[in-house]
Amino acid sequence: MSQNDPVAAFRVEAGEVLEQVEQGLLDLGHRLDDHELIDAVFRGLHTLKGSGAMFGFDALASFTHHCETAFDRVRKNLTPATPQLIAVILSAQDHMRALIEGDATDRKAEGDAILAKLQAALDGAPAPTPEAPPVVQGWRLSLRLPPEAMQNGINPLALLDELRTLGDCRIVARTDQVPPLAELVPTECHIGWDIEVRGAVSRDDLEDVFIFVLDDLDLQIEAIGDTSCDDVEDTAPPPGAGTTPSALPPTRVDTMPPAQDRDPATTPNGRGAPKTGESVRVPAERLDLLMDRVGELVIVQSRLSQLAHSSGSNATDVALRSISEEIERLASELRDTVMVLRMVPVATLFGRFRRLVHDIARDTGKTIELSTDGETTEVDKTVIERLADPLIHLIRNACDHGIEPPERRLAAGKPEIGQVRLSARQEGGEVVITIRDDGHGIDRERVRAKAEAHGLLQPGQVVSDQELLQMIFHPGFSTAPQITSLSGRGVGMDVVKRTIESLRGTIEVASVSGQGSAMSLRIPLTLAIIDGLLIRVGDGRYVIPLAVVEECIELSLEEDLRSRGRSFITLRDRLVPFVRLREMFATGTKPSVHQKIVIIATGTERVGLVVDQIIGSHQTVIKPMSAVHCNVPTFAGATILGDGGVALILDVVQLVALGQHQEERLRAVA
Amino acid sequence: MTMEDTTETQWDEDGRLEVLTFDLQAEKFAVEAVLVREILDLLPETVVPGADRLVASVANFRGKIIPIADLRLAFGLPSAESTMDSRIVVVELDVDGVPTQIGIRTDKVHEVTTLHRNASETPPTVGLRWRRDFIRELVRTPQGVIVLANIARIFDPLLGGRATPAVLAPALL
Amino acid sequence: MSASILIVDDSTSIRVAIRMALTGAGYTVSEAADGAQGLSKASGSRFDMIITDLNMPNMDGLSMIRALRKNPAQCGTPILFLTTESEDAMKQQAKAAGATGWLVKPFVPEQLIRVVRKVLGR
Repeated sequence: MSQNDPVAAFRVEAGEVLEQVEQGLLDLGHRLDDHELIDAVFRGLHTLKGSGAMFGFDALASFTHHCETAFDRVRKNLTPATPQLIAVILSAQDHMRALIEGDATDRKAEGDAILAKLQAALDGAPAPTPEAPPVVQGWRLSLRLPPEAMQNGINPLALLDELRTLGDCRIVARTDQVPPLAELVPTECHIGWDIEVRGAVSRDDLEDVFIFVLDDLDLQIEAIGDTSCDDVEDTAPPPGAGTTPSALPPTRVDTMPPAQDRDPATTPNGRGAPKTGESVRVPAERLDLLMDRVGELVIVQSRLSQLAHSSGSNATDVALRSISEEIERLASELRDTVMVLRMVPVATLFGRFRRLVHDIARDTGKTIELSTDGETTEVDKTVIERLADPLIHLIRNACDHGIEPPERRLAAGKPEIGQVRLSARQEGGEVVITIRDDGHGIDRERVRAKAEAHGLLQPGQVVSDQELLQMIFHPGFSTAPQITSLSGRGVGMDVVKRTIESLRGTIEVASVSGQGSAMSLRIPLTLAIIDGLLIRVGDGRYVIPLAVVEECIELSLEEDLRSRGRSFITLRDRLVPFVRLREMFATGTKPSVHQKIVIIATGTERVGLVVDQIIGSHQTVIKPMSAVHCNVPTFAGATILGDGGVALILDVVQLVALGQHQEERLRAVA
Repeated sequence: MTMEDTTETQWDEDGRLEVLTFDLQAEKFAVEAVLVREILDLLPETVVPGADRLVASVANFRGKIIPIADLRLAFGLPSAESTMDSRIVVVELDVDGVPTQIGIRTDKVHEVTTLHRNASETPPTVGLRWRRDFIRELVRTPQGVIVLANIARIFDPLLGGRATPAVLAPALL
Repeated sequence: MSASILIVDDSTSIRVAIRMALTGAGYTVSEAADGAQGLSKASGSRFDMIITDLNMPNMDGLSMIRALRKNPAQCGTPILFLTTESEDAMKQQAKAAGATGWLVKPFVPEQLIRVVRKVLGR
């Protein structure tokens, strides 16, 4: 986000507000009387209107104003919240989103149509009966500022000038409390005023003038000519009459009854405002910056510990080692703490899907219930952001292809309402998100037929059930007999799989024919720091994410020579393809005598990487590659080593794909 | 100028331009001083297998991974061993609004100097042994002709055409 | 001479928005990104008014207001703070610290100018 662009910042904020409003509306659909929800929706609309106007989104502000007004009436019990009203505001909210995206032209008609529906939804509800304000000819004020007012920047003359803009004013200073010169504090205001304001001025107008000092002010306000007010004991002089200032006795203030009840609107603390101060909103980029700093600290710390461990045994060296260990502990604790700061509950993600399911159900004529659990499970915010699209696709799939139409469900003896269940749980360093539906399940026959048609399987080829199910992730693979408008969009399951793998995650598929399917995504909790295996290939050092490393085995020179041209090893009765990184990276160096094969695996796919040396495990702070290297596919990033040098992080997905390619070639030969 | 080259040499109103001059082999090159972020001694470099030869390695620049470029390749000069005088000039380009630093390996860095438009020649369309669009200007100076390199242009192919000189970006919006 | 106003806010978007509104209305504007910076800027030169956020890194708005009011040179300089509707307790604290008035976020430029005019009297 540009540092200098308030509009971009507003767009982000507005998107969040809209999401909250949507949540509120959807919840409100179930609990029409919930006042907290009504208030929340109102506040959201109010914020949107206000900040929209602030950042030049006038179309948005004026459109939202109508929705806000409608909700204000609901809030004030003038209109009931009805499903019809909620539906209109939901559609209005989509319109707002479009206005925020910036395309205000050609949308006027759309907005007007929604507003017409809004009016229709409100009609029939009792119209508000505005209370006619009592006719007032003017006001009489008695005023004394708190002593520190002037020090705090209040300018009494500006206040009096402002009063004069409201109507004809007669202002008389009361100097009775001005102390003798010796006791006078020049920064304090010792003067009080008696003021008469004439004209069509409301009490609110008057209080607005004193808004900043209202709570501390000694202010009495009394209506002139207001017959509804029974404490008027004075006969007001006729307007414009040449009454002398002394007509307002200076002592009058002391005989006045206490100020009338203030308008509750000016004391919002009476509304039981939610407690703040328990959480702090921090811009995401600051967290990223903090993470960067911690990353650097971890790197420097590893240099320190290298130095400490290579030092000798005199007292200073021992002390250095102990300090180094202490710093190591603190750095690792700090790292953990910062990681936690970046964690956000998946609820923020799950919330978006209710609307999705709601819309799909409406468009397909199915009845679908979405239930969620484990919403409090936390994941790194970067992971959350990148999970949204794949999850949308999987949920769409479950609703669109999984859940059957009501008549088919009933015919199959199932409840009419289809269930989609979204759940999250943490398992060690991973979070598992499962999308489960009780639809008809994946048709294995059709998958098989399709895979054979695509040449992915040979007719009659024996594959495990999981391998067969994983076929749905191949590009261009769709088992739905027809593509509906919902599942269209050109995003396939292959994209879902690739996204998940780019998060270093995996997808497992389970399906029982006639009973439903479940997709489980396993994703690491964080992307910023991983445990890595540091290896050497030629003169270069590289990192392999430890999570995918299955085992490391020796590759003797003889075996290496024997396998030349084949590049497969037999591992527990399975052929595993391997890649000589030295050749792949064209290092131009001789193989080490003690080459190793690091076996990595994603899902059911395995590949061996031949390396010259395994250096050891390494706390890897992942740094992105420069934009000029974005077309180099073999590396997922880089990291800085203890000595300040750079090691590249291998992109496991790419390497496995390479191994698979090799395997396919072999199969083609065989 | 080719059609797609939207940026022009940013002479000031008096026809001057501040540049940093440096040597590659026997040639004297220059980049706009506003693009230069830092001049460093050579850094330990890590080769990126499979990367374009122009940016064959990366280095750790204050905790950031930056590519190290050898402009000799862009200008068809033979490669050479580094010397005592070799330095890295870190320049900044704007890629889709994200500042992107690139280290340029040079044989020797001279000072920041002022070029004058009236001493500048638009590179000839023919007879030049270098890619013409990699050169903004050829400027005569008492020390010989200085080649003002078009840095954004040189790295553009690697960035998918998204690069603009960092300082010019706002003006282009 | 136009009144000079110091804006103290860690949010660039808010600073930019306020700056644009105020300069549009003919005021001269300086900016600071947090309380500490605001305090040092305010001590270094004379401002006719200070507009500050309350939640900021380094030094929050409350501490800055308190520190400013301790300085006799800053006695009487109007200080407006930015707040939201739900922060009534904050409002009280800020006033106790010596703030002159407040502006409820979100606001439109006209509201801002109205409040600035009100407090400055010009």
